[in-house]
Amino acid sequence: MNQKKIALFLCRCGANIAGAVDLDTVAARFKDKSGIALIATHDLLCSPAGKKFVEETIAGKKPDGIVIAACSPKMHEKTFRDVAGRAGMNLAQVTMANIREQGAWVTPDKNEATQKAIALISAALGRGALHENLEARSMECNTDVVVIGGGVAGIEAALMAANAGRKVTIIEKDISLGGAVIKTEEVGPSMECAPCLLAPRLAAVRDNPNIRVVSNAEVTDVLGFFGNFTVRVKKAARYVKDSCIGCEACFEVCPVSAPNAFHLGLGAKKAIYTQFPGSVPAAAVINRAICKHFTDGSCDACVAACPFGAIDFNDGDESLEFTAGAVIVATGFANVNPSSIPALGYGTLENVVTMPEFERMASSNGPLSGEIKLKNGTAPASIAVVHCAASLSEHGAAYCSGVCCMTAVKAGELARKKIPGVTVVNIHDRLVFEGPAAQEFYREQQSKGTIFCKTSDLAHVAVTRAGDKLAVSAPGTAPVTVDMVVLSTGMGPSPGSNVMADILDADCDAAGFFKPDHAILHPTGSTIDGIYAAGSCASPCDVPTAITRAQAAAGDALAKLVPGRKIELEIMTGAIDEDKCAGCRLCIAVCPYKAITYDAQKNKSIVNEIICRGCGTCAATCPGGAAGAKHFTNAQIYAELGGVIHG
Amino acid sequence: MDNFNPVIVAFVCNWCSYSGADKAGGQKLDYPANVKLIRVMCSGRVDPQFVMQAFREGADGVMVLGCHPGDCHYRSGNIKTLRRFALFEKMLAQLGIESGRFKLDWVAAGESKRFQEVATQMTETVKKLGSLSIRGYVESEAA
Repeated sequence: MNQKKIALFLCRCGANIAGAVDLDTVAARFKDKSGIALIATHDLLCSPAGKKFVEETIAGKKPDGIVIAACSPKMHEKTFRDVAGRAGMNLAQVTMANIREQGAWVTPDKNEATQKAIALISAALGRGALHENLEARSMECNTDVVVIGGGVAGIEAALMAANAGRKVTIIEKDISLGGAVIKTEEVGPSMECAPCLLAPRLAAVRDNPNIRVVSNAEVTDVLGFFGNFTVRVKKAARYVKDSCIGCEACFEVCPVSAPNAFHLGLGAKKAIYTQFPGSVPAAAVINRAICKHFTDGSCDACVAACPFGAIDFNDGDESLEFTAGAVIVATGFANVNPSSIPALGYGTLENVVTMPEFERMASSNGPLSGEIKLKNGTAPASIAVVHCAASLSEHGAAYCSGVCCMTAVKAGELARKKIPGVTVVNIHDRLVFEGPAAQEFYREQQSKGTIFCKTSDLAHVAVTRAGDKLAVSAPGTAPVTVDMVVLSTGMGPSPGSNVMADILDADCDAAGFFKPDHAILHPTGSTIDGIYAAGSCASPCDVPTAITRAQAAAGDALAKLVPGRKIELEIMTGAIDEDKCAGCRLCIAVCPYKAITYDAQKNKSIVNEIICRGCGTCAATCPGGAAGAKHFTNAQIYAELGGVIHG
Repeated sequence: MDNFNPVIVAFVCNWCSYSGADKAGGQKLDYPANVKLIRVMCSGRVDPQFVMQAFREGADGVMVLGCHPGDCHYRSGNIKTLRRFALFEKMLAQLGIESGRFKLDWVAAGESKRFQEVATQMTETVKKLGSLSIRGYVESEAA
């Protein structure tokens, strides 16, 4: 092949470069170098006049490639790739020499800066001479969405995508939608009724023809990649047909009871049950483990009681498969269990409850019909709320969840509504109220009578029995004796999140929450393209933030996956030379994206150029030189090395 | 030795360390012109042979700079780098190349000051070590 002719453009960048680098010396150095088509110096190449100049020069002189000696490629590589494209040159034939950020701006001595600029340009010329054309690539995509988790975030994401016309499947592990928020009585600081807020959203999901809800189900496999995922789901038998409307006629005749998980074990439910009236889906479920039809065949009472003939003892588990372009994970959180700190008395002392349990007690749809009661059935006259229970502790959540102070203060408001004259003491260290509304709520609770006591040592708060009452001691405050202790717990990752992350091949952070693609720029993206983490599975958050994250995730998916439009793919991917590949599969072991597969028949590794993101780790690992990285080939890097070393 | 002007090559990842250097530029944090950068998309792309080639071509010191562990743009490319070069550094010593001539380090996109420090310190270290003598030795052996 004939030697490429490259046009070298030197940018003065006003005085930025021209003042620090002797561009005449630079131009003279390359004037007679072979492979140089022309050298042109310009005041400001990125200006409209500069771009026009480059475009016309390329179109007129038809060099094989150009080197732009100017600023960082991060600043203007795309600018000049576009310019070259307009002049009919392939984007890969544009090479930037960063003589501003790496030269003019950091090298006070003009001679040194000039020599460094020569070295950087020489490197760019060397590598540019070896650049092969790269073609923009795109792929047809599936624009449907699968949402994993049907809490407030999953519902929001599903509605947003469905309202944009996409087909959405919600996979929910519980028997109906609603997640943690539906178990809440009121959402602070505005103290709005949570079930009332969610009811119209649940109805909208139920009535949206674009949404399919698959509940009582779990995701077993997620295969594929951005724009083309396959999600496999195992749906557990319900033993009740979809024709069930949740009328509860069967509940009365069912002879078996079990603790009610929806009420956090506080109340009982029958072997045939729903989570709450008006759930979506409406259909009840039979708990096979305790139902007497299954345990000893002695009972079919629900069959006779059902007005819709909906009982189906022959129902079985189902395996389902869905395809989608994007997967939005909204698997929520779990309350940190404070029994890890024995001194708090949770699980050992009566009337020590967690804030979520307290909230179930106070809930009008709860096990006590909204009455806050002690174990002896009477209302507590005094309540202590312990903040940060098992938070900021190596034994629980090591971090501050940021939203629990708001919830903890809500206990006083709920208690005063139900129990006239009740005394509420909040024992806290740091108080976190984000924003004016939450801060105002805190002040309002103070004025309504909630007492706030600051402890000097959160790690040594202790709850002990004192006769019929509970004594709470906290360093730095006077001990208090109360009827009930409410432990304000933080938010931890939901128990299955690590398993889910493995299924998705996404990463979790040290605490177990889904790790973002970029914490600042792309916080709702997971580490895998096309898989999003919405709601509290990404980190502890309040309800509005969960909804915002869901909207952000759905919005990003909607913007990237548009019917009739292809998705752009990475062009600088890895590549494997089949002739050199010995099938050792080391590349497969190091690929961070599982983008390389092994063809057993050929005994070769193959790069999936759709999944590959072009890091080049395979190329550095391959012992046989078979794996390479497009635009970062060994030869190109060696040419660049020669340039920076020899100038 | 005071006049010795070493050549130092730094392989830097596109997302963290190259950006850190760009930021150093933007803030006019000057560092020795001896340090010259070669951009790769990920520090995971850096084949130990690149480092050997750099020494062969005339570099007196070589750095590989990537994202901090846990922050890799490509999830875990830098961890592969870490493993690879832990072994490589042992091999370098066996070849008679002093440990100060090679450095694997992490510079985040925001760490312009750190980039300046790493570049300056490396230059100081290599200046003290002097020109890479093994090159002459290898060449004379080959001859």
